[in-house]
Amino acid sequence: MLLALLAFSIGGTRVYHRFRFEVQRETDFTLKESFDELEASISSGVKAEDLENRFMRITPVSPELLDTAMILSDTIAEHPILCKTELFRKLVTHRSIAGQSYRFMVMNVIIEQSDIKRIAQHILKDLFIILGFIILVFNFIFLKIMLRPFKITIEKIRAFSLQSNETPVFSKTTTSEFQQLNDFLSTMLQKNQQDYRTLKEFSENASHEIQTPLAIANGKLELLIETPGLTNIQLQLVEETRDALSRLSKLGESLLLLTKIDNQEFATHTPLDFSELLKKEISLFEELATMKGLRFSSVVAPAVQVRMEASLARILLSNLLKNAIRHNVDHGWINIELEPRALRIRNSGTEPPVPTSQLFQRFQKSNGSGKSLGLGLAIAKKICEVSGFRIYYQYEDGVHTIRVEF
Amino acid sequence: MKILIVEDEKALLDNMLAYLSRSDMVCEAACGFREAEDKLAAFSYDILVLDIMLPDGNGLDILRQVKKSQPEAGVLIISAKNALDDRITGLELGADDYLTKPFHLPELNARLKAIFRRRKFQGHQEVKFNEIVINTDTHDALVNNISLILTLKEYELLVFFIANKNRVLTKQTIAEYLWGDHIDLQDSFDFVYQHIKNLRKKITAAGGNDYIITIYGLGYKWSDA
Repeated sequence: MLLALLAFSIGGTRVYHRFRFEVQRETDFTLKESFDELEASISSGVKAEDLENRFMRITPVSPELLDTAMILSDTIAEHPILCKTELFRKLVTHRSIAGQSYRFMVMNVIIEQSDIKRIAQHILKDLFIILGFIILVFNFIFLKIMLRPFKITIEKIRAFSLQSNETPVFSKTTTSEFQQLNDFLSTMLQKNQQDYRTLKEFSENASHEIQTPLAIANGKLELLIETPGLTNIQLQLVEETRDALSRLSKLGESLLLLTKIDNQEFATHTPLDFSELLKKEISLFEELATMKGLRFSSVVAPAVQVRMEASLARILLSNLLKNAIRHNVDHGWINIELEPRALRIRNSGTEPPVPTSQLFQRFQKSNGSGKSLGLGLAIAKKICEVSGFRIYYQYEDGVHTIRVEF
Repeated sequence: MKILIVEDEKALLDNMLAYLSRSDMVCEAACGFREAEDKLAAFSYDILVLDIMLPDGNGLDILRQVKKSQPEAGVLIISAKNALDDRITGLELGADDYLTKPFHLPELNARLKAIFRRRKFQGHQEVKFNEIVINTDTHDALVNNISLILTLKEYELLVFFIANKNRVLTKQTIAEYLWGDHIDLQDSFDFVYQHIKNLRKKITAAGGNDYIITIYGLGYKWSDA
């Protein structure tokens, strides 16, 4: 429509100028014709005075002023009937007829520019409305009927989820372009889904399968430690290897958990007593916090019911509490508050080197704490997502605040 | 103590056999569901170590069978970390205890001994080591008949040591046994030393011998040698 408007403005200007040009030409032509008639009349002996009227003046002039060129010009004069000034076209020329020189002046009302403009605008406005209406109707029909298959396809793509096991089925259409599009989409989506499933299975299997060899290696090292005659240095090397293996094992477990949540293997949402669960977790972690010299305080509202998977709830809480303990300062503190609709965990700590929102990303470690895997908050966020909670992380003046809204 | 270990992963099975056979345990192994069924039909065991995830059947079915055919046998189930449901079902079906993979071998050893004590000496559970006697029912520890006043952690530490006597226990193994997996939150396991020191002091104060040998930088060993 905007484009049409632009075309119409350019076209309108052109029409106006063209119109004006034509009108002027036509008027000039008429004036010349009138003049020819006058000349003919005078030649045939009609008296100049008789020929004069409101629009014609014939004045005898001295022959030396004779200028036979026709001068056409615009002039403003009072309209004799309408009694107002109007734009006139005027023709002035001199002729010598039968030995007498005359000055001829013929005038005619010209259609005013503003009139032309108004007419042009009027026509264009009508055209524009008609055109607009036609475009709208056509669009409507086009969208409703012609694009129907396309719209259906769009809807299907919108409803498509890579994680679901359903592949969208596109209906047949007679439009070959849409059919091509549907075929292409169908193949592409199936391929994507297949790849995604393979990848999912791979990461789950990989994380799972990695555990067994790790457990074996760990056990072998435990047996090795038992072997008599090992020097202290050898024993320490074994222990450090075991330490690394145990980190690897925990990493595998965390990744497996993330994949499992992604694969919606924790689908059941049963109501559970969050207060009880929190109290249990607090009792587990309070000692660990105190061992690190942290002050621990908590206010737990009783009987807070939350709909979520029990094991996920436990993992969420332990991850958040661990986080609060790990990323703390010497002689720091931890404060836990459970309200009916939200859980808030606050702790002292140093400023994280990256924006707090980034801390939810995988392998984002906020400090050099060697034992942190950098997956705790990623898991917490994922759990909140599948449980329909919102989680916020804030840092202000040495205080970290995590807020989970149920 | 006669034990049957049901575990499909051969190398893991070997580890357990190697570790447990060094103590006073007679261990037999079954690599899968069928083999376990056959062995259980033919022999009786004190304790069954049972991996629930088996390629040719569900370990929980074996548990049900054992509870019928050999109700006096103790069962320790081994499950994957996140398989909470299996664990709960297992305990409901009458399993005595559970371990999640991966676990420390000394921990398996200590758990098996605890199950054995509960099963064999009902109402009169005692652990003896020379002059030290522990009543695991009342959580009393006596040295030369003098009662020790131990904290819960010190008591658990003592039982863990004696269950794994003459074995090297790393600080990490001890810490994870006493405080659980989350103990890795601590920057070091040096706090274990404090508990060892206190336990040692309390035993020697009561006239007991100091059996705890420090292996520098690594851990400790309970030894009567």
